[in-house]
Amino acid sequence: MEVAVGKASENSKTAIAWYRCAVVSAIVAGLFAIVVLTLIVRNYVPGETVNTQQEEEMEALKIEFQARPDDEQLLGRIRELDLKFRQERLRRLDFSRLGSYLLLGSVAVLLIGLKYAVAFKKKLPAPQFHPDRRQEQVREATWARWAVTGGFVMLIAAGLYLAGRPRIELPKPEMAAASYPSTEEIKKNWPYFRGPGGAGVSAYTNISDNWNGKTDQGILWKSKVRLEGFNSPIVWGDRVFLSGADPNEREVYCFDALSGELLWTGGVKHTPQKGDEPLEAEMLRDTSFAAPTLATDGRRVYAIFATGDIACFDFNGREIWSRNLGIPENAYGYASSLAMYRNLLLIQYDQAGAEDNKSKMIALHAFSGQTAWETKRPLPNSWTSPIVAGHQIITVGDPWVIAYNPANGTELWRAKCMGGEVAPSPIYAGGYVFAIEPYAKLVAIRPDGKGDVTKTHIDWVGEDYIPDICSPVSNGELIFLLTTEGMLTCYNVTEEKDANVPESTEEDKGKLLAPATKTIVWEKDLETYFRASPSIVGDRLYLMSEKGVMFIIKIGAEYQELAKCELGEKSYASPAFADGRIYIRGLENLYCIGTDSTKSP
Amino acid sequence: MAEDNKTINGSAINRRHFLRDGFWGACMVSLGAVAGLLGRKYKKKDTVWQIDPYTCVACGNCATYCVLEESAVKCVKVFAICGYCDFCSAYYEPGAVALDTAAENQLCPTGAIKREFIEDPYYEYTIDEKLCIGCGKCVKGCAVFGNGALFLQVRHDRCLNCNECSIAAACPSGAFKRVPADKPYLLKETVHT
Amino acid sequence: MVRPGYIINRMAVFLVLCGVALGAERFPPPEFVETNHQLPPINQITDVTPRSDIYEYIDVGVLLAALGLSSYLVLRKRSRRAIFILMVFSLLYFGFWRKGCICSIGAIQNITLSIFDPDYAIPITAAAFFLLPLVFTLFFGRTFCAAVCPLGAIQDIVLLRPVSVPKWLENMLRLFAYVYLGAAVLFAATGSAFVICRYDPFISFFRLSGSLNMLILGACFLVVGVFIGRPYCRFFCPYGVILRQFSRFSKRRVTITPDECIQCGLCEDSCPFGAIREPTAEWPVGYYEKSKKRLAYLIILVPVLAFLCGWMGFAVRPVMSRMHERVRLAERIYLEDTGKVQDVTDASTAFRATGQQTKELYAEASKIRDEFGLGGWLVGGFIGLVIGLKLIGLTVRRQRVDYEADRAGCLACGRCFEYCPQERLRLKNAKEIIGES
Repeated sequence: MEVAVGKASENSKTAIAWYRCAVVSAIVAGLFAIVVLTLIVRNYVPGETVNTQQEEEMEALKIEFQARPDDEQLLGRIRELDLKFRQERLRRLDFSRLGSYLLLGSVAVLLIGLKYAVAFKKKLPAPQFHPDRRQEQVREATWARWAVTGGFVMLIAAGLYLAGRPRIELPKPEMAAASYPSTEEIKKNWPYFRGPGGAGVSAYTNISDNWNGKTDQGILWKSKVRLEGFNSPIVWGDRVFLSGADPNEREVYCFDALSGELLWTGGVKHTPQKGDEPLEAEMLRDTSFAAPTLATDGRRVYAIFATGDIACFDFNGREIWSRNLGIPENAYGYASSLAMYRNLLLIQYDQAGAEDNKSKMIALHAFSGQTAWETKRPLPNSWTSPIVAGHQIITVGDPWVIAYNPANGTELWRAKCMGGEVAPSPIYAGGYVFAIEPYAKLVAIRPDGKGDVTKTHIDWVGEDYIPDICSPVSNGELIFLLTTEGMLTCYNVTEEKDANVPESTEEDKGKLLAPATKTIVWEKDLETYFRASPSIVGDRLYLMSEKGVMFIIKIGAEYQELAKCELGEKSYASPAFADGRIYIRGLENLYCIGTDSTKSP
Repeated sequence: MAEDNKTINGSAINRRHFLRDGFWGACMVSLGAVAGLLGRKYKKKDTVWQIDPYTCVACGNCATYCVLEESAVKCVKVFAICGYCDFCSAYYEPGAVALDTAAENQLCPTGAIKREFIEDPYYEYTIDEKLCIGCGKCVKGCAVFGNGALFLQVRHDRCLNCNECSIAAACPSGAFKRVPADKPYLLKETVHT
Repeated sequence: MVRPGYIINRMAVFLVLCGVALGAERFPPPEFVETNHQLPPINQITDVTPRSDIYEYIDVGVLLAALGLSSYLVLRKRSRRAIFILMVFSLLYFGFWRKGCICSIGAIQNITLSIFDPDYAIPITAAAFFLLPLVFTLFFGRTFCAAVCPLGAIQDIVLLRPVSVPKWLENMLRLFAYVYLGAAVLFAATGSAFVICRYDPFISFFRLSGSLNMLILGACFLVVGVFIGRPYCRFFCPYGVILRQFSRFSKRRVTITPDECIQCGLCEDSCPFGAIREPTAEWPVGYYEKSKKRLAYLIILVPVLAFLCGWMGFAVRPVMSRMHERVRLAERIYLEDTGKVQDVTDASTAFRATGQQTKELYAEASKIRDEFGLGGWLVGGFIGLVIGLKLIGLTVRRQRVDYEADRAGCLACGRCFEYCPQERLRLKNAKEIIGES
């Protein structure tokens, strides 16, 4: 730089002119850079490529528009905004490309200007005089040592801070809690329609057989349920869930099992789908808008309504997800209850006619509500609920009983043995899947087949006093059927040898035989009407009549009535059984029946 | 005295030189070792980032996390999988009021999908890549109700092939992976009969 | 690279496969009986010329040439101007043209991952970018930093008003680079993240786009860099840490003077990076004994420091391991399953959709945590050792009679050359010789 300085003294005027030139260009470039930078930042902050704020605004408008498709003003606004947002996006992209080049260029000019300016003003090196270099160097080293020590202390402090942050201890893999309940957990609760496996069999025997709703005797609590619904209560731990709906509202209720207090109410919104025919309230007279029973996995609770709206809530009432599957076309209203297999929520979505090709079996990921798989069903609308037996989903429709693999929805086997408007749900007991064709027959199918098992796996049929609504119940040895008109019948489950029929030879078994027709063990006319399905508690049958009278009957080779308990309110829903308690949904109230109020459920 | 000093210094310098040479050798050996280790593992294939369409959940991160202002990820369509539906769940909002090309019914935020009538009842949907931002909305729509003919892919004419892909770091399903550069796309295959 | 027609062939295979039933689609693809419409090709992928890797080999070539040229300019030509021009070229080529990726600093992670992950195939460019500068450093000093590294270049260009950083502060701040190196290696070895790339402050400038946070960070570095020479290189660069050590043993190195030092002291302030060492003075009386005792204590202290830092590294593993996506996911799933959080994330939803067992995920996460535990011990121990050795280095006295460039810290920028009267003499002589001939 000595050269430059030398020149400056020789040619100071030119040098000063150059210096000024450098400074001025640096200032101009700097100001320009600041302007461009401000513009870029302004352009950048409100939206990157994807402006979520704009998108949300647009989405909200679109949903609003779907609710009010005739609102011309709204439509105009949507179109205007759409155009605006898209133009803005392109403009922003163009600008940020141009702006970054401009900025880069101006910064380069700024730097060159400043470099020159600095070069003109360069100071000459001035060697310093060090009076006591010894002390200075020693001091420098000492300070540096302390600074490094300080750095070490800071590191340790940062480490301690990090180590002290809340940590999450993962469970040991071998004892990791599954994200779905174990079979034992399910058995202890009543998480689906008709309890574990949809079988209607309680794991407890300490159930009351003596109460009276009129005098409140034996009734632990009674709580009003705001909206109507024919679905049954489900129970998990100290929570009882059910749902209610009318044409405009859909609600999920959570009651405290101990006190009967309504803990929360979860509203489920209806999102109409394209092409949906709105439901007529009159059509749903027999099923209500909330016929399907809820399901829970002990972590969350799931509810589906006749409108095809399905929602998931956590146990504190927060909605986790909800979606609409499209309003099912169903002659009397959609009524299939939810079932679960591990983390999958199973929905038997039978609708319209068989030729419409609209029925399907749907499995949703319970955590997200996203579809795990979907399988078309060649069936018209039905009112049965699917059950999970071992690793099979059993479904009943007209005319097929179909079993699916819950993992991927592939069909395992099917049997053509149903007909009419099927409503009773299947059960699995004593090694058989039992399905009921209303008014026609009870069918016992061995579930170990593959493909079409109509001719190979139906072991026997029963043809007397076949119900049209109530599902059967069985303790593995005897199976009980209950018709709406109150006819209770008992069949033997096992294929006992009939003395009248000659013993089949090995050869016969290889042939395709017509299934044997079973005769009844006993029957009894209870002379009242039933809608709720029967249940088994220990060695007793619990039958809830439409009028609200619980028939308690001893299971045995012949009919023996033990008790009759009045609820004092009509009931269409199947009761739920927990430890020492029964939860019964009347038309308006939810009852908890038990012997000991201090006992925790 | 001065001479003594010099010899002492001299020997110190020699010692230092010796040590330095030793360390120099050690550094060389360690570099050689690393090179050898890498050489043993070196595979001729270079790799590039790509999305596995079967793992992708179309979360939308691709549109926002790419270091490029306009993401390198764009939607790709295999026409052989497409059902050419009139009501296309990738094109229309779930509750679309009418099956037309109006803004209120379209799902794509940038209007990058073109709908064209082919023959009754079939419509062809094509993606205008210049407009596509890789948000995956249509991918999700097609996967939930349709055949899944649409999926996201890293476009290698755009991708900078960063050492650490920012989208991969933000991918919730681990769908981003490095694939051999000579097969840079992971395309869906048709499964229909 | 895609062979021409590869995808078209693949398409043809697909179309043949169409006849083979592999599963059921919801809506069978149509047959266009009326119009005989032909299916278009898969999007526009077929039109796009695939990525060419020729650039990557060119990169290696340019790197090699730039390193060679830089070494020549620093050691033989001794011209700051030429070094500056090469530096601008490197900034433009490796930075703005090649978008700053791959760079030698980031290549540390590729090397580490390649050593620890048997499935990771390291690109040859990454290996070359890591090894070549180190080899050159062993022979010629940090000539890579001088004029090849684009990150160094961008900082060097903005340096206008150098302010000297006090020695003690410099020593303390430099510790961070070691911690950064340790963390980068740990995260790369466990396959968690490439933090050097993630927090590269200048890459968003090279790409002319990036997240706002990183742009601001980069801008801060540049503003600070106007006054403090190359702040990233000196206090943060993890590759610089390795180069420092290699440079200590280099065969040749930058000398301030081309001839004998005349102790004029003119060069003392010329270095904006504080890398010029003055001649050492004799110690004050009695200081030698004190120092000897201190050294003894420190030598005993080194293992203690290493152990302490190692333990610290082990203790922070629950937090550090969260850098790994699987650990984050496992913790999230655990929180969701135990009802401690109510909502779900994209990641947890995607995990559940795979149907993988939670316990498998937990096992995987625990294994990664254990790796972080072991890695924490090693990295922490390394940092403790560095601190201990640094303290020892600040205690022993090195004999220095002339003004010298610090072997480790000198970035070979060449600024000091023109301050030396001996150098000026040499240039004058050279000019005369040229003039005569």
